[in-house]
Amino acid sequence: MLSNQSEQFIVELRMYLMSKGKRDKDIDEIVDQLTDHLHQAEKEGKSVAHITGDSPKTYMQRLGQEMDFDKKQTILLVPQTILLMMAFFSFTPAVAGTFSLSILGLISYVVMGIIGIVIYGVIVVKVLPKLFHSKWFYGILIGAFIIVTGTFVVIMFIEEGMNSEPFFVASPLQNNLIAVACIAIFIATALYIKAWFPVLIALFLSIAPLGQRFVPEHINKDPFWITVTIVISVLISIGVAVFLMIKWKKKKTA
Amino acid sequence: MSTSSQMLKGLLDGSLLALIAKGETYGYEIIHKLQDHHFPIISEGSIYPVLMRLQKKNYVSTTTRKSPSGPKRKYYHITQEGKEELENFHAQWKALSQGVTSLLEGGDH
Repeated sequence: MLSNQSEQFIVELRMYLMSKGKRDKDIDEIVDQLTDHLHQAEKEGKSVAHITGDSPKTYMQRLGQEMDFDKKQTILLVPQTILLMMAFFSFTPAVAGTFSLSILGLISYVVMGIIGIVIYGVIVVKVLPKLFHSKWFYGILIGAFIIVTGTFVVIMFIEEGMNSEPFFVASPLQNNLIAVACIAIFIATALYIKAWFPVLIALFLSIAPLGQRFVPEHINKDPFWITVTIVISVLISIGVAVFLMIKWKKKKTA
Repeated sequence: MSTSSQMLKGLLDGSLLALIAKGETYGYEIIHKLQDHHFPIISEGSIYPVLMRLQKKNYVSTTTRKSPSGPKRKYYHITQEGKEELENFHAQWKALSQGVTSLLEGGDH
């Protein structure tokens, strides 16, 4: 097992090289080598700083400079991102059992897709690599996610207000199939970037619509159950916060 | 970057080539061997950009095998082109080090 710092360095290195459009095979090779190196170095009581020198960021850049840019793969990244965005947009309604398509909805999907890709693209390639070792890293990522999702929700409300006629309404079976397809895309993405956050975000997104679909209406409106739900959510939030705090402290002291 | 680390950066390519010429080796072992020779390195990771460069220039070839401890390990060996480059480096270094030593330690003439 690698220490937290080593683990983080490896993940950041992979994201950095991927965002710079390096070839997967090359990335795997250097990541494998450094993982092996860190394993052995840690056995001898050395830290990440022994390997990376004073600035991990400079070190990542120097590795990147020696690696070729993979044009084909970078072009493929765009449809991959579009697929992922579509999966995120379709997942919640599909799980809730209310997936439908209208012309206006389709247009807003496309517009949001483009805006989303531009925002995420700029953030992943330009902003995040500069903030790898800053506490702002996740803050900005979450902020961008909230802004993009928020804009989408607003567009969705406007669209609903305009009452545009859907030309496709999914049956329960189709809803399930769409949801399964989305889950497959999330897992594939997670495996591809070797990080679990797409699946975690999907899990998080699915809580509310799952409730909407499967909890009977009389329970849904019962003040007692509403109170229970709120209490449980608050407890879970506190639990997660405490867990993150402990992890963060460990990392700081280690 | 300090003068000494600039200097090292220039010499690391040839030095790693010389080390690989002594027999097949891999990343962490290279560090140990460099230490055995009291070779001053800036940071352990600094060998990897150099190894990538040597491989790209075809001075070394690689094979990946399972290591005794489990994960895959990439082993480096020298190629014919690498051997020729090493001879160049050796000759240049000889001339350079003689010149620098003579300048630093020689008299005032």
